[in-house]
Amino acid sequence: MTSIHCSISKPCRPLVVLLLAALLAACAPVQPWERGRLAQPVMALDGNPMLSAMDEHVYSSKEASSGGVGPAGGGCGCN
Amino acid sequence: MFKQHLRRKLKRSVCAILLAAFLPHAHVHAAESGSAGSDFRLPTLGGDGELTLQDLRGKVVYLDFWASWCGPCRKSLPLYESLYQEIGSQQFAIVAINLDETREDAVRFLKQHPVSYTILLDPVGSTAADWQIRVMPTSFLLDRSGMIVREYAGFEPAHIEDIRHDIDTLLDQ
Repeated sequence: MTSIHCSISKPCRPLVVLLLAALLAACAPVQPWERGRLAQPVMALDGNPMLSAMDEHVYSSKEASSGGVGPAGGGCGCN
Repeated sequence: MFKQHLRRKLKRSVCAILLAAFLPHAHVHAAESGSAGSDFRLPTLGGDGELTLQDLRGKVVYLDFWASWCGPCRKSLPLYESLYQEIGSQQFAIVAINLDETREDAVRFLKQHPVSYTILLDPVGSTAADWQIRVMPTSFLLDRSGMIVREYAGFEPAHIEDIRHDIDTLLDQ
Protein backbone atom coordinates (compact mmCIF):
# COMPACT_ATOMS: atom_id res chain seq x y z
CA MET A 1 0.00 0.00 0.00
CA THR A 2 1.33 3.42 -0.93
CA SER A 3 1.35 5.87 1.89
CA ILE A 4 1.56 9.60 1.44
CA HIS A 5 3.00 11.60 4.28
CA CYS A 6 1.83 15.13 4.74
CA SER A 7 3.97 17.31 6.97
CA ILE A 8 1.14 19.78 7.61
CA SER A 9 -0.96 18.68 10.54
CA LYS A 10 -4.69 18.30 9.93
CA PRO A 11 -5.88 21.24 12.08
CA CYS A 12 -3.43 23.52 10.26
CA ARG A 13 -4.67 22.69 6.75
CA PRO A 14 -7.56 25.18 6.63
CA LEU A 15 -5.13 27.83 7.87
CA VAL A 16 -2.74 27.04 5.01
CA VAL A 17 -5.60 27.22 2.50
CA LEU A 18 -6.70 30.57 3.92
CA LEU A 19 -3.13 31.86 3.82
CA LEU A 20 -2.76 30.86 0.17
CA ALA A 21 -6.11 32.45 -0.65
CA ALA A 22 -5.06 35.65 1.11
CA LEU A 23 -1.84 35.73 -0.92
CA LEU A 24 -3.79 35.32 -4.16
CA ALA A 25 -6.16 38.11 -3.20
CA ALA A 26 -3.14 40.39 -2.72
CA CYS A 27 -2.64 40.50 -6.48
CA ALA A 28 -4.42 43.82 -7.02
CA PRO A 29 -5.17 44.77 -10.62
CA VAL A 30 -3.86 48.09 -11.96
CA GLN A 31 -6.90 50.25 -12.61
CA PRO A 32 -7.41 51.59 -16.15
CA TRP A 33 -6.77 55.18 -15.02
CA GLU A 34 -3.52 54.19 -13.28
CA ARG A 35 -1.77 53.06 -16.43
CA GLY A 36 -0.11 56.38 -17.25
CA ARG A 37 3.35 55.12 -16.37
CA LEU A 38 2.80 51.85 -18.21
CA ALA A 39 1.83 53.84 -21.31
CA GLN A 40 5.16 55.70 -21.36
CA PRO A 41 7.43 54.78 -24.31
CA VAL A 42 10.20 53.73 -21.94
CA MET A 43 7.91 50.96 -20.64
CA ALA A 44 7.61 49.36 -24.09
CA LEU A 45 9.40 46.06 -24.57
CA ASP A 46 11.33 47.74 -27.38
CA GLY A 47 11.74 51.33 -26.25
CA ASN A 48 13.25 52.55 -29.50
CA PRO A 49 12.23 50.35 -32.46
CA MET A 50 14.06 52.53 -35.00
CA LEU A 51 17.35 52.26 -33.11
CA SER A 52 16.86 48.50 -32.75
CA ALA A 53 16.29 48.15 -36.50
CA MET A 54 19.48 50.13 -37.22
CA ASP A 55 21.49 48.10 -34.72
CA GLU A 56 20.24 44.92 -36.32
CA HIS A 57 21.13 46.24 -39.77
CA VAL A 58 24.70 47.13 -38.70
CA TYR A 59 25.09 43.78 -36.96
CA SER A 60 23.93 41.77 -39.96
CA SER A 61 26.17 43.81 -42.32
CA LYS A 62 29.26 43.23 -40.19
CA GLU A 63 28.52 39.57 -39.64
CA ALA A 64 27.67 39.04 -43.33
CA SER A 65 24.61 37.18 -42.25
CA SER A 66 21.18 38.07 -41.08
CA GLY A 67 18.89 36.50 -38.56
CA GLY A 68 19.57 35.19 -35.11
CA VAL A 69 17.90 38.25 -33.68
CA GLY A 70 14.36 37.71 -32.54
CA PRO A 71 12.09 35.08 -34.00
CA ALA A 72 12.95 33.23 -37.20
CA GLY A 73 11.75 34.78 -40.43
CA GLY A 74 12.48 35.10 -44.12
CA GLY A 75 14.24 38.16 -45.41
CA CYS A 76 16.05 38.84 -48.69
CA GLY A 77 19.49 39.19 -47.08
CA CYS A 78 20.12 42.25 -49.27
CA ASN A 79 22.24 44.39 -46.99
CA MET B 1 -8.53 4.69 -0.38
CA PHE B 2 -6.36 7.24 1.40
CA LYS B 3 -5.18 8.51 -1.96
CA GLN B 4 -8.76 9.10 -3.08
CA HIS B 5 -9.55 10.89 0.16
CA LEU B 6 -6.48 13.10 -0.28
CA ARG B 7 -7.40 13.84 -3.91
CA ARG B 8 -10.92 14.88 -2.87
CA LYS B 9 -9.51 17.13 -0.19
CA LEU B 10 -7.03 18.64 -2.66
CA LYS B 11 -9.84 19.32 -5.12
CA ARG B 12 -11.83 21.13 -2.42
CA SER B 13 -8.80 23.19 -1.43
CA VAL B 14 -8.12 24.24 -5.03
CA CYS B 15 -11.79 25.23 -5.44
CA ALA B 16 -11.64 27.25 -2.20
CA ILE B 17 -8.46 29.03 -3.30
CA LEU B 18 -9.88 29.87 -6.74
CA LEU B 19 -13.12 31.12 -5.21
CA ALA B 20 -11.24 33.28 -2.71
CA ALA B 21 -9.04 34.68 -5.47
CA PHE B 22 -11.99 35.80 -7.55
CA LEU B 23 -14.16 37.11 -4.71
CA PRO B 24 -12.40 40.49 -4.33
CA HIS B 25 -13.07 41.24 -8.01
CA ALA B 26 -16.74 40.33 -7.97
CA HIS B 27 -18.69 43.54 -7.73
CA VAL B 28 -21.86 45.00 -9.11
CA HIS B 29 -21.29 47.51 -11.86
CA ALA B 30 -22.70 50.65 -10.22
CA ALA B 31 -22.53 53.11 -13.13
CA GLU B 32 -25.17 51.40 -15.20
CA SER B 33 -27.63 52.77 -17.69
CA GLY B 34 -30.84 53.76 -15.96
CA SER B 35 -29.13 54.53 -12.64
CA ALA B 36 -28.28 57.95 -11.27
CA GLY B 37 -24.72 59.04 -11.90
CA SER B 38 -22.56 59.19 -8.78
CA ASP B 39 -22.12 62.82 -7.76
CA PHE B 40 -18.67 64.44 -7.60
CA ARG B 41 -17.05 67.71 -6.63
CA LEU B 42 -13.92 68.38 -8.64
CA PRO B 43 -11.75 71.44 -9.35
CA THR B 44 -11.68 72.91 -12.84
CA LEU B 45 -8.47 72.95 -14.84
CA GLY B 46 -8.48 76.74 -14.89
CA GLY B 47 -8.55 76.78 -11.08
CA ASP B 48 -11.62 79.03 -11.07
CA GLY B 49 -13.74 76.87 -8.80
CA GLU B 50 -15.31 73.46 -8.43
CA LEU B 51 -18.10 71.71 -10.25
CA THR B 52 -20.55 69.07 -9.10
CA LEU B 53 -22.83 66.85 -11.11
CA GLN B 54 -25.75 68.55 -9.35
CA ASP B 55 -24.70 71.86 -10.96
CA LEU B 56 -25.42 70.34 -14.37
CA ARG B 57 -29.04 69.32 -13.65
CA GLY B 58 -31.35 70.46 -16.45
CA LYS B 59 -28.76 69.88 -19.14
CA VAL B 60 -27.95 66.83 -21.22
CA VAL B 61 -24.42 65.94 -20.08
CA TYR B 62 -21.69 64.06 -21.88
CA LEU B 63 -19.19 63.02 -19.21
CA ASP B 64 -15.82 61.92 -20.51
CA PHE B 65 -13.01 60.29 -18.53
CA TRP B 66 -9.68 60.85 -20.25
CA ALA B 67 -5.90 61.16 -19.75
CA SER B 68 -3.05 62.65 -21.76
CA TRP B 69 -1.38 59.23 -22.16
CA CYS B 70 -4.52 57.63 -23.58
CA GLY B 71 -4.05 57.13 -27.34
CA PRO B 72 -7.72 57.27 -28.45
CA CYS B 73 -8.16 60.54 -26.48
CA ARG B 74 -6.04 62.30 -29.12
CA LYS B 75 -8.84 61.54 -31.55
CA SER B 76 -11.83 61.88 -29.23
CA LEU B 77 -11.18 65.32 -27.72
CA PRO B 78 -11.06 67.24 -31.05
CA LEU B 79 -14.21 65.41 -32.20
CA TYR B 80 -16.02 66.20 -28.93
CA GLU B 81 -14.99 69.84 -29.38
CA SER B 82 -16.61 69.92 -32.86
CA LEU B 83 -19.71 68.32 -31.37
CA TYR B 84 -19.81 70.92 -28.60
CA GLN B 85 -19.40 73.77 -31.08
CA GLU B 86 -22.24 72.37 -33.22
CA ILE B 87 -24.74 71.73 -30.41
CA GLY B 88 -23.93 74.67 -28.15
CA SER B 89 -23.98 75.02 -24.38
CA GLN B 90 -27.59 76.14 -23.80
CA GLN B 91 -29.04 72.69 -23.11
CA PHE B 92 -25.93 70.57 -23.41
CA ALA B 93 -22.63 70.24 -21.57
CA ILE B 94 -19.50 68.25 -22.12
CA VAL B 95 -17.53 67.68 -18.94
CA ALA B 96 -14.20 65.95 -19.30
CA ILE B 97 -12.59 64.54 -16.17
CA ASN B 98 -8.84 64.36 -16.54
CA LEU B 99 -7.18 61.45 -14.73
CA ASP B 100 -3.53 62.42 -15.20
CA GLU B 101 -1.35 62.33 -12.10
CA THR B 102 -0.19 65.90 -12.69
CA ARG B 103 -2.05 68.97 -14.00
CA GLU B 104 0.92 69.79 -16.27
CA ASP B 105 0.36 66.65 -18.35
CA ALA B 106 -3.23 67.72 -19.02
CA VAL B 107 -2.20 71.29 -19.87
CA ARG B 108 0.49 70.06 -22.29
CA PHE B 109 -2.02 67.80 -24.03
CA LEU B 110 -4.65 70.54 -24.26
CA LYS B 111 -2.14 72.92 -25.86
CA GLN B 112 -2.00 70.47 -28.76
CA HIS B 113 -5.72 69.63 -28.67
CA PRO B 114 -7.52 72.70 -27.32
CA VAL B 115 -11.13 72.40 -26.19
CA SER B 116 -13.63 74.97 -24.96
CA TYR B 117 -15.71 72.69 -22.75
CA THR B 118 -15.18 72.12 -19.04
CA ILE B 119 -12.17 70.13 -17.91
CA LEU B 120 -12.10 68.85 -14.34
CA LEU B 121 -9.11 67.39 -12.53
CA ASP B 122 -9.13 64.11 -10.64
CA PRO B 123 -5.45 63.12 -10.16
CA VAL B 124 -6.35 60.48 -7.55
CA GLY B 125 -8.96 58.81 -9.76
CA SER B 126 -11.63 58.61 -7.06
CA THR B 127 -14.35 59.62 -9.52
CA ALA B 128 -13.16 57.00 -11.98
CA ALA B 129 -13.41 54.43 -9.19
CA ASP B 130 -16.91 55.60 -8.24
CA TRP B 131 -18.04 55.39 -11.86
CA GLN B 132 -16.24 52.05 -12.21
CA ILE B 133 -14.28 52.84 -15.33
CA ARG B 134 -13.11 49.64 -17.02
CA VAL B 135 -11.29 51.04 -20.05
CA MET B 136 -9.75 54.33 -21.08
CA PRO B 137 -11.39 56.43 -22.35
CA THR B 138 -14.93 55.89 -21.09
CA SER B 139 -17.82 58.30 -21.46
CA PHE B 140 -21.36 58.51 -20.13
CA LEU B 141 -24.39 60.25 -21.53
CA LEU B 142 -26.67 61.63 -18.84
CA ASP B 143 -30.16 63.01 -19.25
CA ARG B 144 -31.43 66.28 -17.76
CA SER B 145 -32.16 64.61 -14.41
CA GLY B 146 -28.67 63.14 -14.06
CA MET B 147 -29.63 59.58 -14.98
CA ILE B 148 -27.13 57.55 -17.02
CA VAL B 149 -28.59 56.84 -20.44
CA ARG B 150 -25.62 55.13 -22.02
CA GLU B 151 -22.00 54.20 -21.36
CA TYR B 152 -19.39 54.35 -24.13
CA ALA B 153 -16.35 52.20 -23.30
CA GLY B 154 -13.37 53.06 -25.50
CA PHE B 155 -13.45 55.35 -28.52
CA GLU B 156 -13.29 55.06 -32.29
CA PRO B 157 -13.86 58.09 -34.56
CA ALA B 158 -16.75 56.18 -36.15
CA HIS B 159 -18.55 56.29 -32.76
CA ILE B 160 -19.11 60.05 -32.99
CA GLU B 161 -22.16 59.72 -35.25
CA ASP B 162 -23.72 57.29 -32.83
CA ILE B 163 -22.99 59.61 -29.91
CA ARG B 164 -24.42 62.56 -31.82
CA HIS B 165 -27.60 60.61 -32.51
CA ASP B 166 -28.00 59.71 -28.80
CA ILE B 167 -27.47 63.33 -27.74
CA ASP B 168 -29.99 64.61 -30.32
CA THR B 169 -32.56 62.07 -29.11
CA LEU B 170 -32.14 63.28 -25.52
CA LEU B 171 -32.26 66.94 -26.50
CA ASP B 172 -35.54 66.36 -28.37
CA GLN B 173 -37.21 64.76 -25.34
